[in-house]
Amino acid sequence: MASVNSREWRAVCEKFLRSQELSEKESRKDPENDPFRSKYEARELLKEIYCFLKNVDADESEEEEEEGEEEDGQCEQSESEGGEAAGGRTHPGDSRAGLRAAKLGVVEYYLGVNHIETEELSAGEEHLMSCVKLLEKCAVTRENVSLCIQARNQLGILWAGRDETEKAQGFLETAKSIYVRYMKEDGQPPLDLVDFFVVEQEAPSQQERMRRFEMVYTHTLYYLAQVYKNLEQYEKAGQYCHSTLQRQLKFSQFVPLEWAINAAALSQYYITKTRYMEARHCLAAANVIAGLAGEVPSEAAAKESEVEYEKREQLRQKRAEIARCWIKYCRNLLEDAKKLLEDNIGELDLDRQEEMLRARRDEEEEKERGRKSAVLFDSSDTFDSICRQEEKVSSVLPLIFEEASAIFLVGQGYVAQAKEYFEMDGHVTDHIEILQDHSALFKVLAFFEERLERRCKMHKRRVDILEPICKDLNPQYYLLICRQLQFELAETFNEMMDLKLGVADKQDQPDAHTIKKLNHLCTSSIKYYQMFLDSIRSPEGKFPEKLEDDLLRPALAAKFRVARLQSKIITTNLNAQLENLNHSLDSYNFVVQYCEENPEAKKAVETELELSEEMVSLLPMKINRIKSKLASSN
Amino acid sequence: MFISSLALQLDGRLDGRVEAPGDSRERLLEFGFDYCYWSVNPEAPNYASQEEVFHDLGVSVLAGAAEGYNICLFAYGQTGSGKTYTMMGTPDSTGLTPRICQLSIFSYFSFLEIYNERVRDLLRGNDQKKPTPLRVREHPEKGPYVQGLSQHVVSDYKQAEHLLKEGISNRITAATHVHDASSRSHAIFSIQYTQAILENNLPSEIVSKINLVDLAGSERADPHYCRDRITEGANINKSLVTLGIVISALAQNSQMCSSSQSINSMLSEGDGSTVGSHSSSLSSSGRRHCFIPYRDSVLTWLLKDSLGGNSKTIMIATISPSYSSYNETLSTLRYAAHARNIVNKPRVNEDANVRLIRDLREEIDRLKSMLLNFSMRNPSPSLSDERDGSFSDIVLQNEIKVCA
Repeated sequence: MASVNSREWRAVCEKFLRSQELSEKESRKDPENDPFRSKYEARELLKEIYCFLKNVDADESEEEEEEGEEEDGQCEQSESEGGEAAGGRTHPGDSRAGLRAAKLGVVEYYLGVNHIETEELSAGEEHLMSCVKLLEKCAVTRENVSLCIQARNQLGILWAGRDETEKAQGFLETAKSIYVRYMKEDGQPPLDLVDFFVVEQEAPSQQERMRRFEMVYTHTLYYLAQVYKNLEQYEKAGQYCHSTLQRQLKFSQFVPLEWAINAAALSQYYITKTRYMEARHCLAAANVIAGLAGEVPSEAAAKESEVEYEKREQLRQKRAEIARCWIKYCRNLLEDAKKLLEDNIGELDLDRQEEMLRARRDEEEEKERGRKSAVLFDSSDTFDSICRQEEKVSSVLPLIFEEASAIFLVGQGYVAQAKEYFEMDGHVTDHIEILQDHSALFKVLAFFEERLERRCKMHKRRVDILEPICKDLNPQYYLLICRQLQFELAETFNEMMDLKLGVADKQDQPDAHTIKKLNHLCTSSIKYYQMFLDSIRSPEGKFPEKLEDDLLRPALAAKFRVARLQSKIITTNLNAQLENLNHSLDSYNFVVQYCEENPEAKKAVETELELSEEMVSLLPMKINRIKSKLASSN
Repeated sequence: MFISSLALQLDGRLDGRVEAPGDSRERLLEFGFDYCYWSVNPEAPNYASQEEVFHDLGVSVLAGAAEGYNICLFAYGQTGSGKTYTMMGTPDSTGLTPRICQLSIFSYFSFLEIYNERVRDLLRGNDQKKPTPLRVREHPEKGPYVQGLSQHVVSDYKQAEHLLKEGISNRITAATHVHDASSRSHAIFSIQYTQAILENNLPSEIVSKINLVDLAGSERADPHYCRDRITEGANINKSLVTLGIVISALAQNSQMCSSSQSINSMLSEGDGSTVGSHSSSLSSSGRRHCFIPYRDSVLTWLLKDSLGGNSKTIMIATISPSYSSYNETLSTLRYAAHARNIVNKPRVNEDANVRLIRDLREEIDRLKSMLLNFSMRNPSPSLSDERDGSFSDIVLQNEIKVCA
């Protein structure tokens, strides 16, 4: 800039600064009926700067200009992003021509963004493309690397907005490779876009430059995440979300609570992919980073001021939400293990268990170690704390009761934590979902328990958790939840009865107490199935002639189970026996008749229907025998 | 129960067809709805008046409430297409809300507005200096509610009308580019409908809630219209602040059995708030249970019970007949057609009943062999054919033997 006198240059810099100010700050205050006023003003300033640069440099470097024109011809073929790498680069970015191109490029860039922001997309695209073209002639250097990436970020956004996702992907992938290459070959703090237009004493520190540059690239990755999401390549999208989070952490560019919630949410994505190692890592990091958000203000403080109240609310809520993500982690880990180990009637398959244990000894550890290095939030000073969090719970599918139990306990701890915030009063649906998870944790734990009595106790805990709320809830508002609870309770009682029967089978002489207990479980199960079935009735109490699709299967299955349970009530009284069997027959008949009247229902309950038909034909015989016995005993 | 009855208002053709504007390529798109109304030109032979709309929809709202259902009626559509006209109306042409009010005197009324995820009471009067946003909560007995929202009882229609007017005048109606009287806020007018009945000869009452919702404009979240809204579709969100949205979409998408349970996707489109979802419904095995830790929008929260469960819901999609609104019209219709399918499925988790079936098969075999014994005229009274029965049968036998 030797020949430009410093006063003139200072004026240019001020103009530039002013345009930034207008575009970023003042535009927010523009009136609704003239929403782009400041943006248009900023645009005018940018145009003036552009003319100035063109003129000054034209005087200065006519020769280079001519040279440049020749190159333009050569460059034409490399218009597409793909061909760019091979494109004809001649002068280094830090040469005089390179600097000139960079400076013009910066102005083109801002003009491009300005046009896009004022909804002149084509004009915006042109400016951005001229920026890219200007730089095509130069090698990537400290001076222009940031600009190269930012222009492509913007073009990526632009094309994504036009639903041309692949095109967007092209620009962003190029941006990514430019970054990777620069960091490999140079890696020094590069110039930021605004650095070209600041007077020297105001130039930012090297550290600040690096920070800004890394932020630009973090955005590239974030845009890639979205592009791949839109392309439905979720695996890749997940990776880029993860890298975005990782970089936010690494460069300390995050709001703790927000970051923690995002990491916790990402864990849920990993859970759906059964990648428990990654899920746990995200959750552990969420715990640690949420801890950075500070202490929860006391209740007293919250009462004093609205600000403290909000803060207390936020912190408690977000931490409780992270706890809920942990609950799901524990639950899914246990349930996936169960799926792996169960035999065809849902019991623990001991051979399979043995086989799995052997296989794990052989290979598992090896494999996990390899995977671990790939996705860690490894670059931050919080790393050790994250590891400590991870050590508290396994990320490997449990194979034996002790392992399952350890995971269960962690899950249960988080249940308690989550319930502290999500209380029944005020958070009904959230609270109940947590209780349902708690119940599910007990259920899956029972799978790993061999002793029947203890298993039964675990199911009893489920009843204790769910029964009270089921009574409190108004079905007018929570019909769905009520039905779920009723069904689950009915099943749990049924399960308990089966287990108790198993225990009793081992006894020689079942006592009256056991029989009473069994009958209680049986009738409780019937009661809840019946409540579920009653919830389907109209306000006048009529059962619908035609069940809605989504209720068809559960309703008929419930009826079928009621039929079965009714015949299982133990009594010595022949009259009572007769009555129970008649009820049972009625219920089987209901299933059969419904399917006769609605043939489309048959598919939903094939097995149940087949069995019900058989029972309808066989039960009368049993009933008749009791009848004749009754007659003969009289 | 969820009844989605979609009324196509302001559509050019009664069969719900929309023609592409101008160009030579003729495109006909068909959408099926329960009712369609044309209310542009009162002179037109097929003109649907407010009375007619009320007759079809308003009456069924009241009938449903009388049966004890919670009812939700909401209007969705582009700004300027007649949402507020339909829901509220004008002085000479009253809309659904005042008409329904008129017939539900002696109920509790409340009127609130959701603007920028904050709830404001529209009937608070001027007594509160600084309106702090109200909090949305859930009560086990009374369902979702707004803490501190004022409730009003009216004894005649005049008072009801007065309340309604007061509320409307308190709404924040920021002008948008399209239509200056339009609003960017959602307004919910709630009626707690109570009626005395005799149940088993004892006086009792049926309480039901009617929510009449005037949604904010549906126009595409565009920086031009509203800069704090989030873009949708294939657009890229620029700011890292929106990372959560991307992650949650990811987690939701990859959920195995992704039947859209989320009513959020349906309602928060208009307000663009962070969309959260709970995989609330238990489901068939195979699907993983996730918790996606982003909060539901306030609107979704408040209408939770209306959209899933014991409630009848009516959606009115309003569209403009103008060519220039073609895209908006199309997206509104698509949305409405989609909403029709968002029925909150009360799915219950059914455990594998393999064991039950196995047991029953055994019993059937036993019964069959018993039958066989019978038909072979071998009436053995010893019940030995049930010897290998389940525990309960054994108990039974023992007892019978004892009795014998």
